[in-house]
Amino acid sequence: MDLFPQFLANGLVMGVFYALSALGLTLIFGLMRVVNFAHGEFYMLGGVSGWFVTNYLGLDFFSGLIVVAVFMAAVGWLVDRFLIERVRGQGEEPGILLTIGLSIFLVNGTLLLVGPAPMKVAGAVAEGPLFFGPIAVTKLRLLAVAVGIALIVGAHLLIRRTRLGAAMRATFQDPMAASLAGIRTGHVYAATFALGCTLAALSGMLLASIYSAQASVGGLISLKSFVVVILGGMGSFAGAIAGGLLLGVAEAMWGGYVSMGMVDVIGFVLVILILLFRPQGLFSIRTERA
Amino acid sequence: MRNVVLGGLLLTGIAASVPAQAQDTVRIGLVQPLTGSVAYNGKSVVEGARLAVEEMNAAGGVLGKKIELIVEDGQCTPANSVNAVEKLVQKDKVVTLVGAFCSSATAAIMPVAQKYKLPLITGVSSKASLTEQGNPYFFRAAETDALMAEAFAKILANDLKLTKVAYIGVNDDWGRGGVEEFSRDLTALGVKTVLTEYFDHGATDFFTLLTKLRAAKPDGVFVAAETQDGSILVKQIREMGLDTKVFGVGSWATADFINLTGEAAEGIHAAVPYASSMDTPRNQTFVQKYQAKYGIKPGKYGAAGYNALNIAGQAIARAGGTDAEAIRASLAKTSYEAPNGVYKFTDKGQAYGFDAVLVRIEKGEPKVIASTPVDAPH
Repeated sequence: MDLFPQFLANGLVMGVFYALSALGLTLIFGLMRVVNFAHGEFYMLGGVSGWFVTNYLGLDFFSGLIVVAVFMAAVGWLVDRFLIERVRGQGEEPGILLTIGLSIFLVNGTLLLVGPAPMKVAGAVAEGPLFFGPIAVTKLRLLAVAVGIALIVGAHLLIRRTRLGAAMRATFQDPMAASLAGIRTGHVYAATFALGCTLAALSGMLLASIYSAQASVGGLISLKSFVVVILGGMGSFAGAIAGGLLLGVAEAMWGGYVSMGMVDVIGFVLVILILLFRPQGLFSIRTERA
Repeated sequence: MRNVVLGGLLLTGIAASVPAQAQDTVRIGLVQPLTGSVAYNGKSVVEGARLAVEEMNAAGGVLGKKIELIVEDGQCTPANSVNAVEKLVQKDKVVTLVGAFCSSATAAIMPVAQKYKLPLITGVSSKASLTEQGNPYFFRAAETDALMAEAFAKILANDLKLTKVAYIGVNDDWGRGGVEEFSRDLTALGVKTVLTEYFDHGATDFFTLLTKLRAAKPDGVFVAAETQDGSILVKQIREMGLDTKVFGVGSWATADFINLTGEAAEGIHAAVPYASSMDTPRNQTFVQKYQAKYGIKPGKYGAAGYNALNIAGQAIARAGGTDAEAIRASLAKTSYEAPNGVYKFTDKGQAYGFDAVLVRIEKGEPKVIASTPVDAPH
């Protein structure tokens, strides 16, 4: 029983990381109805470009984070204007095929440019352990949790409290009415996609400073993010947070008390259970479309 | 009619050009993972292999021709590795095969090599059973986990004063094999096992596993993991505030591992068949050339690719032709002077005679603290 506080702490930290990585996916799906299979690759690009700006441009971690945010927002904007735009309004399948193709392109492009080696992103603070009674964490993890929570709250406020957020919600409720009311819906779509990409990339860079960045990391991130989003309910902010925490704690407990070797199974067991008993997810904003 | 004639001309042209090309160079096929979770290590093998081919060609090639290395991506999976071999045999008409990286992939291409009666050399795959299948075309120019465990268990137990050890391995045939072999040999020396855990390829967070490790209170932890997983794991062992001794197998004595792991790498031990700091004149030349070409010191896998290609090239030269049976016969008589000792093959195709080393990482450099020749299995 003395291990329990540490397992719980590990699970909660991982849970925040999972929620953060899944946020971009749930945002793009919830608002735009685009199932973004290139989500993990945007996460990976965040880590790799984070490595580039801290290693080659010599920026400190937080300046690097801002540069990466601006860069990835531009990438997201362009991807929407030049690619997603072409399949908009044609149902979900063309978008799925498009983003799968995009993910293959991004992985192999990155392999070609920087190679398959794992890369290290210099963290913002030292890596040594911190002890709270029997619980060990690191400053870097606490910082990542804090930045993660700030990003989640920030994105929520952006959508609920700003004019851009209001324009986004209007556009996705009824594109025709929104454009009649003078909203430039093309820009709103692009801004939403850019926001989703930026969130994915920022979590990628943040977590690369704790683990490492690598070209092939995206697949696993996409899978885990889909698990989180299905658990929490498609498109729901609260759902992403609940789904992330649930997955993190479940994995920590299973790994801790049963076996580490099969820990990746847990997420999918949870998904099967959720789909059987509550297919709309824990928190769903549009149950009728789930 | 004209089309038919043209087509006929084209066809004869193609038919004539294929054997002509095949005769210009001696082709060796290399299958390695170039994408996926061990792509990074596969790339090191390819780098070493290219260096070996470059050296042999600079010295005049073999049989009076240049060697041409054709590299295919096997992705460390059985299916893709078999496809890669089929392509190398059918289309490129290679005379010898080298590969694959993962033991499961190598096991899948062994029968294919046998079907086409082509010699197959692996410089990496370490699963013991591969050389026990009675495949006469297969040669393993690498250590097995059993041989490494036998060579170093005693030195580790005495030098690190181990009494209670935890074992952590990556959840595949190599990781499980390493954990089994080392725990068996260490247990025979009276070392107690307090924990055995496996994790999946590409896992990034080990805090849960390490919480169990902390509770088990071992005085040493054995780790079987490659560069990426291993560096993150070792880093997190220190982040948890554990100061237990860490030792293991995998590509640890490499510049990349040390760079990724940072200060946490200090003082860890690795049992490896090759380290760039090995003190032989042949190794010093090899390290110098490798560093000049790639800007980084060679690790275990760079050396593995280099050795496998040299063994293949020398066997073809001794065979005096590209006949597969002749190459196979001359491979069996290999006595190749590598940067890390002399490679010979047993009747089953298992290499022996080369040196393996135990290194300790000190001030960012792998320092050799013990060296022992790998004996033929008995």
